[in-house]
Amino acid sequence: MINQILPFLSVAMASLSEEVLLVVKRVRQRKQDGTLYLMAERIAWGPEGKDRFTVSHLYADIRCQKISPDGKAKIQLQLVLHTGESTTFHFSNESTALKDRDVAKELLQQLLPKFKKKANKELEEKNRMLQEDPVLFQLYKDLVVSQVISAEEFWANRLSLNSVEHSLSNNNKQEVGISAAFLADIRPQTDGCNGLRYNLTTDIIESIFRTYPTVKQKYAENVPHNMTEKEFWTRFFQSHYFHRDRINTGLQDIFSECAKEDEKGLKSMVTQGVKNPMVDLLSLEDKTLDEGYGTATVPTTSNSSNKSLRENSNSAIIKRFNHHSAMVLAAGLRKAEAPSDQASETSSTDGNSRDSDLFQPPLKKVKLQEAIEYDDLQGDSVRKTISLNLKKSDRYSHGPIPLQSQHYSTSQDIINSISIIQHEMRSYKPRLTQVMSSSAASSAITALSPGGVLMQGGGQQTINQLVPTDVQSELKHLYTAAGELLRHFWSCFPVSTPFLEEKVVKMKSNLEKFQMTKLRPFQEKIQRQYLSTNLTGHLEEMLQAAYNKFQAWQTRRMMRKT
Amino acid sequence: MKLNIDGLLVYFPYDYIYPEQYSYMLELKRTLDAKGHGVLEMPSGTGKTISLLSLIVAYQKAYPLEVTKLVYCSRTVPEIEKVVEELRKLMDYYTKQTEAKNDFLALALSSRKNLCIHPEVSALRFGKEVDGKCHSLTASYIRAQHHSNPSQPVCQFYEEFDAVGRQVPIPPGIYNLDDLKDFGRRKGWCPYFLARYAILHANIVVYSYHYLLDPKIADLVSKELAKKSVVVFDEAHNIDNVCIDSMSVNITRRTLDRCQTNVETLQNTISRIKETDAAKLREEYSRLVEGLKEANVARETDMYLSNPVLPDEILQEAVPGSIRTAEHFVGFMKRFLEYLKARLRIHHVVQESAPQFLKDIYEKVCIDRKPLRFCAERLRSLLRTLEIADIADFSAITLISHFATLVSTYSKGFTIIIEPFEDRTPTIANPVLHFSCMDPSIAIKPVFGRFQSVIITSGTLSPLDIYPRILDFRPVTVASFTMTLARTCLCPLIVGRGNDQVAMTSKFETREDFAVIRNYGNLLLEMSAIVPDGIVAFFTSYIYMENIVASWYEQGILENIQRNKLIFIETQDAAETSMALEKYQEACENGRGAILLSVARGKVSEGIDFVHHYGRAVIMFGVPYVYTQSRILKARLEYLRDQFQIRENDFLTFDAMRHAAQCVGRAIRGKTDYGLMIFADKRYARADKRGKLPRWIQEHLTDGSLNLTIDETVQLGKHFLRQMAQPFRQEDQLGLSLLTLEQLQSEDMLQKIAQIAQQA
Repeated sequence: MINQILPFLSVAMASLSEEVLLVVKRVRQRKQDGTLYLMAERIAWGPEGKDRFTVSHLYADIRCQKISPDGKAKIQLQLVLHTGESTTFHFSNESTALKDRDVAKELLQQLLPKFKKKANKELEEKNRMLQEDPVLFQLYKDLVVSQVISAEEFWANRLSLNSVEHSLSNNNKQEVGISAAFLADIRPQTDGCNGLRYNLTTDIIESIFRTYPTVKQKYAENVPHNMTEKEFWTRFFQSHYFHRDRINTGLQDIFSECAKEDEKGLKSMVTQGVKNPMVDLLSLEDKTLDEGYGTATVPTTSNSSNKSLRENSNSAIIKRFNHHSAMVLAAGLRKAEAPSDQASETSSTDGNSRDSDLFQPPLKKVKLQEAIEYDDLQGDSVRKTISLNLKKSDRYSHGPIPLQSQHYSTSQDIINSISIIQHEMRSYKPRLTQVMSSSAASSAITALSPGGVLMQGGGQQTINQLVPTDVQSELKHLYTAAGELLRHFWSCFPVSTPFLEEKVVKMKSNLEKFQMTKLRPFQEKIQRQYLSTNLTGHLEEMLQAAYNKFQAWQTRRMMRKT
Repeated sequence: MKLNIDGLLVYFPYDYIYPEQYSYMLELKRTLDAKGHGVLEMPSGTGKTISLLSLIVAYQKAYPLEVTKLVYCSRTVPEIEKVVEELRKLMDYYTKQTEAKNDFLALALSSRKNLCIHPEVSALRFGKEVDGKCHSLTASYIRAQHHSNPSQPVCQFYEEFDAVGRQVPIPPGIYNLDDLKDFGRRKGWCPYFLARYAILHANIVVYSYHYLLDPKIADLVSKELAKKSVVVFDEAHNIDNVCIDSMSVNITRRTLDRCQTNVETLQNTISRIKETDAAKLREEYSRLVEGLKEANVARETDMYLSNPVLPDEILQEAVPGSIRTAEHFVGFMKRFLEYLKARLRIHHVVQESAPQFLKDIYEKVCIDRKPLRFCAERLRSLLRTLEIADIADFSAITLISHFATLVSTYSKGFTIIIEPFEDRTPTIANPVLHFSCMDPSIAIKPVFGRFQSVIITSGTLSPLDIYPRILDFRPVTVASFTMTLARTCLCPLIVGRGNDQVAMTSKFETREDFAVIRNYGNLLLEMSAIVPDGIVAFFTSYIYMENIVASWYEQGILENIQRNKLIFIETQDAAETSMALEKYQEACENGRGAILLSVARGKVSEGIDFVHHYGRAVIMFGVPYVYTQSRILKARLEYLRDQFQIRENDFLTFDAMRHAAQCVGRAIRGKTDYGLMIFADKRYARADKRGKLPRWIQEHLTDGSLNLTIDETVQLGKHFLRQMAQPFRQEDQLGLSLLTLEQLQSEDMLQKIAQIAQQA
C-alpha cells in the first residue's frame, strides 16, 4: 500500500533532520510545481529547485482534508486549517496522480486524528483551567498577555502539575455511548447520476465496529488484502445486512456471514433467558392450556411457507430493531463493566472480601420485595440503609495515629486539672485590702476600650481600612504574579541541567522585568497617593531574596568555572 | 396499625393507610357477613392485595367456624408469589403485635414445573414434559412394578413423601414456592405433592385460576376444598375468557392423525395384554359395571367440587355396555375418529349446535349420546389399566375424548364451527373444528354454587354490572373505588388529530391510511423527545403493529425515534420478547431511555408492570377491538344477545375498553408513581367508550383533553411531566391520600371515606 515510506531520510533542505514518511513529486501548489513531504509532525511543500519549504503545516493545525471527487479532471487534495485557511495541492503526474493522491490521503487519514486529539485536548484543557480558575486567568493576563513570560513558559509547569491528575481523569473518563441512530445519521446523498453517496466519519465507523463486532472482524480480515476500504464500505451499504428488510442473501455477499453470526448471537441471547424472573414471559403462566384447548387461534408460526414475503420482511425488521437496540445497549455497557470488575477485585485483595455479596438475597427475592413495597404506607422507621463499604477496615476502627502522641494531654490529665481548678476555686478568698480603687479601675477600662488612650494609633489599623479597594486588588494581583514568577524561579533550584541553567537566567531577567514594569509603577502610584510605601516592602523583600540567591549561585558558578 | 372495621379488629401491617383501603375493607366485610359474592374494583397500586388479606385473615381469626379457608386465585406465577410475600409481611406483623406463635398455614401451589426438585425432571424446560416425566416416575403401577423390580426408576422424593409425608403435618407458616422447595429438599419430600396434600388443611391457599376453573385440573386438585371457604379472584378482568378457554376444544387434521396413532397403540397394547394378563382387563370390566358409584357417594356428602364435564346424572349410571370392554371402546373411538375425519373433509364453513351434531353423528355412524358422555372417564380408566407411562403421548386422544364428553353433555352454550381454511389463506386447506364455549358461566358455576363467598376484584372491572351478567351470579356488593390523590399523578389524554388535522383512528377503513400511520409515528416521535426513561406503546393487534413498524421504517420515522431512545418490539416468540423486555428495563435503568412497542391482549399487556421509570408514558394506538370477523366471536355475540340481552356493540366496546384500560393502567402502580396515558384514537372521546373506562381514569379525563392534536398533547405532557418531577414527600400526602390512625378516626374523614366507594 504505502510503498514510499522512507524511514529516517534526512532531507538536506530541512533545518532539522525529521522523519520523512512520504515524498510525492510533481505536486502543484498555486500553479507552481514542487514536491510534497509528509513528515512525522508536519506536512510541507517546497517548489521545485528551491531548498526551502514555502508551505508547512503542523498536523495539529489541520482541521481536515478534502479530496476532489473521482472523475474530476484535476486531482486535488485540500487541507483546511483550524484558522479557516486552506491549502490546495494539485497532483499533476499524469500516470500516477490518482495513486499519489490516495497514498497521501490515507497517510494523512492515519496521522491527523492522532494530532487532532492531542491538540484539541491540550487546548481544551488550558481553556478549562483558565475558565475554572479566575486567579489563574488574572495571572495569565498579567504575565502572558503583558509579555512578561511566554505562554509556553507559563503553561510549561502548569500542565505538568496537572498532568498526574489529568492522566488519571483521562483513564476514568466516561466512555461515550453510541447513538442508537448512528446508522440513520449516514444520510445517503444522490450524486446526480443515479448513484448514492454515503458520508462516513471516523465516529460512525467506530460506532459500527463497536456495535457489530462481526463487521469489524470482516474489516480486519478483508480490508488491506482483498479490497480497499472504500470497496468494503460500498459493499456494506449494498448488502442486505445494512438493509435488513431484504431477505434473500446473495452468496457472494461477505456480510451474509455477519448476519448469520448475529442470528446466532440473538439466539444464544434468547436461549440464555432472562435473569429477572419478573419479566420472564415463559414462566409467567402457571398452567398453560394444553394444545387443542382454548378459543384463541393457534398462531401459525411453524409453517412460514404460507406467510407472505412482506410479512417475513416485516418480522425481519422487528428482529433487527430488537437486535440493534440490544447491541447498542451492550456496546455501551461493555466498557462500563470492565472497571467495576477491577474495582471489586481490588477491594477483595485488601482484606475486605466480597462477602457482602454472599449476604445479598437472590435477585428474585429482591424483585419480589420491591414489587410489594409501598414506601409511602411505611413509616420513616424503615429507612433503607446503605452498607458501609470499607477499603481498609483497620483504618476505620483505629483511625489515624497521631505522630507525637506525648504532646496530647490524656483525658485523665484534663480531669485532674479540672478538679484542681475546682478545688482552688472553692478555696479562693479575695484579699479585699489590696485591690485598686474603683476610680483607677474605671479609668483603666476606658483607656483600654476602643477609642481610649491606649487603643489609639499604634499603626494597628488594617490595610483594608487604609487603602482604597482598587489599590488593594492591584496589590493582590501583584502578589499572585510575583508569586508565580518566584515559583518558576525557585523551581529551577537546584540547577542541575543546562536547561534549568538557561531557565534560571531567564527567570531572573523576568523578575527584573517584572520589578521594572509592574512593581515600580505601582510604587510610584501609591507614593502619589501619599500612602505608606510600606505596602510593597514585602514584595521587594521577596524579590531581593531571589536576587541574592541568584547572585550566590552565579558567583559559585563563576568560581567553579574559573 | 390496628383498625376497627365495622366491629372487627384488623391488623394492618403498615403505619399509614390509604382511605380507599379502609373503604375497601368495609365493603369486603359486608360481603363476608352476608356470605355472598362481591365485585370490587380498586385501582392497581392502592394496596388491594394487602387490604384483602388483612381483612380476611382477621375474619378467619375472629370467626374460625364461619370462614375456614381463603382460596386466593391469581393469574401469573409472579403475582402468586407476590401475594404470598405480602401475606408473610402480614403474618410477621401479627406475631410482632400479638407475640403469639403463628398457627396459620398458608401456601402457594403451582404446577410441577415450578415445584419439582427431582434433579432430572426439574431440568426439563416445558411444563408438559415435566408433567409427563413426573407421571412416568410416580404412577401407581410404576411404583407397584418397582416393588417387584427395583431397577424400575421411581422418584425418590415422592416415595419419601408417600411413606411419611402424610402423617406428619407441615408446620404452620408461610410457604412460597421457593420455601416449599427448600422444605422439600430438607425433608426429601416432593414439594408438589406435599403442597397438593397440604392445601386440604391449609388456612390460605394461593394458586392460579386454572386450579378452580379448568374442570380437568379442578377435579384433581380442588375438589375437596371445604365449602366454608372464601374464594378471591384477583386481576379478574379476564375471568370470562379463562372460563371459556378451559371449556373449548379445537380439532385439526393433525390432532386426528395423532389420535389415529394413539388408537393403534391402544389396540396393540390391549391385544398384548390380553395374551399375558387377561385378568387385568376383566377386573377393569367389573369395576366399570359398578360404575362411577364411588364418586357419586362422595358427592352426596357435599365435599367434592362438582365437575362440569361430569354432570351429576351420569354418576348414577354405570358405563354403558357398548364401551365397557376395552376392545369395544377402542372400536368405538375409531368410529368416532372416522366420523370426525369425514366432517373435516369439507369445502365450506359449517356451523351447528351440539344437538345437531349429535343427531348427525347418530344418523351417520350410529353413535349414541350416552356412550359419548362416558368417553373421557372410560379413556382415563383404560389408560390406567393399560399402564401407559407417558400420558403426554396420548394428549390427542384425550382431547378427542374430552370433546366427546363435552359435546354430548351440554346442549346449550356451545357451538361447533368447522372451517375448511383460514380466512387469510383461502387457498390452503387447513380444516379446523372449533368446539367453542360461549357461556363463561358454565365453568364458573360450580365455584359460585359451592363456596360461600366469591370475591371478584381487579383494577379494571368497569362497567361493573356486566360481570354478574356474563358470569350469571348475584353479588351482594358491587363497588368501585377511586384513587384518592394528593397530586394528580395520572394524566389521560385523548389524541384525535394529527397536526395536519387528519383524524387519528385505527378504524378498519382508515387504518392503512398513510396519513394515519404517519401521524401515529409523529406522535411517538414527539413523545420520545419529551418523556424521560421508558415509554410503552400498545397496538391493537400483532399484524397491525408489524405493518406500522414496517411503514415507519420505510418513512424513516423509526430512525428519528432512535435518536432519542432505543426501540424494543414485542414478537410472537415469548423468549425473544422476554429478552427484549429485559433489555428495555436495562435501558430505562441506565438512563438511556427506551420505547417498547407491544400489543394489547398480548403477554406483555397482561402480565408485566411498568412501575416508575419503566413506564412514564403509555400510548394506546387505536381501540383494541377483538378481531370481529371471527366466526367464534360472532357466535358468542349472538349467544350473549339471546341469553343475557347484551348487545353486540356493548360487549365489543366493553371488551376493547377493558383491554385499553389494562394497557394504560400498567404504568401507574402506586401513588408515588406517575405517568401519561395517551389514547391515540378519536373514538375514545365518544361517551360510550369513555364511559366504560374505570372510574379512577375517567375522573381525570377533562373535557379539554378529549380531542387534542399532537402538538397540544406534547404541550400538556411536558407540563405534566415537569410538575410530576418535583419532589413528592410523605407529608404532601398525609391527611389527603394517606392517613394515620388518628386521622382515620376523625368524623369528617369517615364521611369522606364513605364517598370513595361507588355502588353500582
